[in-house]
Amino acid sequence: MTLTEVAAQAKPQSTRARGSALGPVLAAPGVIWLLLFFLGPLYVVLAIVFGRTDPIFRTAVPVWNPLQWNPSQFNYVLSRIVGSQGIFGPALLRTALYVLVAGLLCLLLAFPVAYYTARLSGRWKGLLLALLIAPFWISYMMRMLAWVNLLQDDGLVNRLFSMGGIFDVRVHWLTGQPVVVVLGLVYGYVAYMILPLYAGLDRLPQSTLEAARDLGASRFASFWRVTLPMCRPTIVAAVLLTCLPMLGDYFTSDMLSASPKTAMVGNLINDSVQSPGQTGQAGALVMLVLLVAVLPMFYYVRVTSRGDTAS
Amino acid sequence: MRSPVTWWNDPWRPPRILLAVTFGYLAWSLIPVLIAVIFSFNDGRSRTVWQGFSTRWYFGDPVKSVWHDAALHTALFQTLKLGLITTLITVPLGVMFAIGIDRWRGRLPAGANMLMLVSFVLPEVLLAVSLLFVVTTLPLPIKLGTGAQVLGLVTFQIAYPAVLVRARMATIGTQYEEAAMDLGASPLAALRRVTLPMLLPAIFASTVLVFADVIDDFVLVRYLSGSSSTEPVSVKIYNTARAAPTPALNALATLLLFAALLAITVGYLVYRRMTRGDNTAGGGIAAFAGEA
Amino acid sequence: MPVPNRPSPSRRQFLQRAALLAGGTPALMLFLEACAKSDQTSSAPTMKIASPDKPATWDIAKDNEPIANGLAPEKAATLQLYSYADYVSPDAIKSFQEKYGTTVQVSTFNDTDEAITKIRAGSVDYDVFFPSYDQIGKLVNGSLLRPLNHTYIPNIKNVWPVFTNPFYDQQWRYTTPYTVYTTGIGWNNTVVPADIGALKNPYEALWDPAYKNKTAVIDDWHTAMSMVLLKLGITDVNTSSADNLKQVGEQLTALVAATSPKVTITMYTDVPTGQIGLTQMWSGDIINAQNYLPEGVTADVLRYWFPTDGKGLVDNDLMVILRGGKNPVLSHLFINHMLETESAKQNFKQIGYQPPQVSMSPDSLVADGFVAENIKTAIVRPEYYDVGYRILELEPDNDAAWHNVWRAFKAGGS
Repeated sequence: MTLTEVAAQAKPQSTRARGSALGPVLAAPGVIWLLLFFLGPLYVVLAIVFGRTDPIFRTAVPVWNPLQWNPSQFNYVLSRIVGSQGIFGPALLRTALYVLVAGLLCLLLAFPVAYYTARLSGRWKGLLLALLIAPFWISYMMRMLAWVNLLQDDGLVNRLFSMGGIFDVRVHWLTGQPVVVVLGLVYGYVAYMILPLYAGLDRLPQSTLEAARDLGASRFASFWRVTLPMCRPTIVAAVLLTCLPMLGDYFTSDMLSASPKTAMVGNLINDSVQSPGQTGQAGALVMLVLLVAVLPMFYYVRVTSRGDTAS
Repeated sequence: MRSPVTWWNDPWRPPRILLAVTFGYLAWSLIPVLIAVIFSFNDGRSRTVWQGFSTRWYFGDPVKSVWHDAALHTALFQTLKLGLITTLITVPLGVMFAIGIDRWRGRLPAGANMLMLVSFVLPEVLLAVSLLFVVTTLPLPIKLGTGAQVLGLVTFQIAYPAVLVRARMATIGTQYEEAAMDLGASPLAALRRVTLPMLLPAIFASTVLVFADVIDDFVLVRYLSGSSSTEPVSVKIYNTARAAPTPALNALATLLLFAALLAITVGYLVYRRMTRGDNTAGGGIAAFAGEA
Repeated sequence: MPVPNRPSPSRRQFLQRAALLAGGTPALMLFLEACAKSDQTSSAPTMKIASPDKPATWDIAKDNEPIANGLAPEKAATLQLYSYADYVSPDAIKSFQEKYGTTVQVSTFNDTDEAITKIRAGSVDYDVFFPSYDQIGKLVNGSLLRPLNHTYIPNIKNVWPVFTNPFYDQQWRYTTPYTVYTTGIGWNNTVVPADIGALKNPYEALWDPAYKNKTAVIDDWHTAMSMVLLKLGITDVNTSSADNLKQVGEQLTALVAATSPKVTITMYTDVPTGQIGLTQMWSGDIINAQNYLPEGVTADVLRYWFPTDGKGLVDNDLMVILRGGKNPVLSHLFINHMLETESAKQNFKQIGYQPPQVSMSPDSLVADGFVAENIKTAIVRPEYYDVGYRILELEPDNDAAWHNVWRAFKAGGS
């Protein structure tokens, strides 16, 4: 043990000196806000899912007392997931598939870009980073709309493939093509993956990597056996940060393919929420997505807080 | 002159594949936007066929240009209004939250911290639907519209300043504040006169980032909007995309893009100035974006 | 750096916290229950449904009398309209604004379910709403409408006489007509050269795999599903037969497999550009498509089919005044303005949907330049309303059954 380590362990917890009363006072507004407007609404969702419907308008009526909760709407949704009446099952599976594929594609795209920017770009680092961050500040809707235009039957993409009239390419990109929706998801969310990857890769100690090369490993081997394992937590955090929000996406499928063939769980929720008689079911779907996402979310929290304390 | 084979196999060669991928990605990412901006200057009504240069969609066309169409104005104002109000509420709330949690030991703050991080990765539609239920079923003084939208946006964005400030505090460490208190300052005074000024870059960076994120938000503001005067630009684009969009929409989005770029540039320059000579802050865009 | 181990809560602390939780929860329940908005269910669990065989005369509640005669329009007000996108002509709005010195704001909805949910939630103050009559029962029973004062709307004399006493609102207490339209099949001749109208069962063309990825259906549950019923030869488009609904579900699944249609309401912009080749379409949309033709393309490419004997889906949209609106006088005046012949013609030109104006004879519309020769099948004739099939309001249970089939379709079943 070095001297500094001993000293660090010997230092008493100086809560007294840092004003232990100040902490709660400062944090209180934020905590109350989160409780009221983040956790609280989740209870309202429960009250609506387990509530009843107005017989004429079929709007949802919340029931506040848990003892009077009626599980019929929740059961309805659960029973429609698998089996002969499994109308929701395909959409849920499809969502999982799209998110997985899109996440993988994002990673395959983001990692090289982040790696290059973090370690190899030299004096262009600042400019590259600015360009990489740029999509955050361009309206997401505008970017999607730009793609809708490019993908129209007479749009630039088809015209490009036609190569000036050599071929006559008129692919219908915008009519329910899963490929287009997945690529749309990648386009929209990959920027969220690049930044954390960049940050993590930036922190890797150059000395270790150089040591691997000095010891005779080829570029590929040193990458595979040294770099990759070292940035595993970063990759996990970045993937979670990108894929979890994708679960709720509905507008990508809406704009790029107005077809039921590519409906995701976000579309199911969006279609049911304001539809008479189906609001409770929308709430049940919300709960389902929450339950599915909760484990990865807590895992993400653990990974990032471990990162915090391991500075 | 080396032979092409030698050049290709040069052991000190730059990473060509990575370079190609990076440039390819940048092109793929930014070219559609460039095209959208270019078509905002289109003379005709088409958004795919170039018909000549004109500024009619900005102020020329007496009915449908951004300058003349009241609906587009309202959308622009609503976007900026939401951005300002949300940022004004979120940043102080988030900063205080971060500082408070940092010095409060216990289960409750750990739980609150976890809640805050969860709100960071939650799919937005879940929060939007739950708040929609709250506003439409409980007799709150807040109705659908700007009030509800601000509520949702603040809840969604509060993690941003909190995370940035906490990261910065971790980098600074506690020594300055403890030194101040050893010299006789009360905890509050130490906070006010030592810690806060050191946190200013992070606070400023989070302000700009929250603003940029809010003016682009779609899911929350759409669910919680009331009449069309409370629909910001993103919702207008979505609604009109499913009807009959004209290049005026491109013009609107371009204007918003320039506003955001301006905010970011000014913010970054001010941030650079603030952290001049301060070697605990990483200079550079990465630190500004909170990823240092 | 390891986090120091916290001492686990002592027994006392644990008991304190448990007591707090146990005591607080019922209190919270009571509080929430007291806070919750009072139910708005009407006393009767059934609702009066209007149909051509059983015309409905809606009651006017004591606390919902029409406004008094001869009031002045509200000053410095903003009239709020709530309609589909591109469904009210900007020029007609402009002339109204100039005439009464007021501003008009249009909010849009994507489908009628969403619209009525938003209105019912009570947090919006729209003045004039443009529904179809298949929601009139809900709107009246939910006390969402303001009864009309006929003295403000003298232009009612301009519309087809049947609308002063329609089956869905006898004595026109709550509604005036807005547009009339039929629902048939529209197609773009360059993408789909065949004459769909000459087929034995034109609806079947939507299931033809030769048109894969070029088709669309209207994003409205009742309209789309009724078309499937008509394709099957079932003429009761408001059926409550579980068997029929099952067949519709199967047909819809087959449709997705055969031609993968888009489900949208953008036909009026997508058919003229050829983005959609063959689709179920509203007659107003194909007429409106004339306004959205790309450069160098004439109205020659547009085609529309509707059964010549009138035995297809016929409908009309309404103008109603919402009770939550703040400008009742201006709302009446706006309705009157839209029923004026000049504004109606302007509206027709810009939105494509035909107004039921007495002075606009169906035979003169082609000559007057409103409708191109090759889509004159889209012109709505009063005779259609004698034999055509109308989409009516459904009983709540039937409504739920229909919505379930539609939702299974939209979830992309297979």
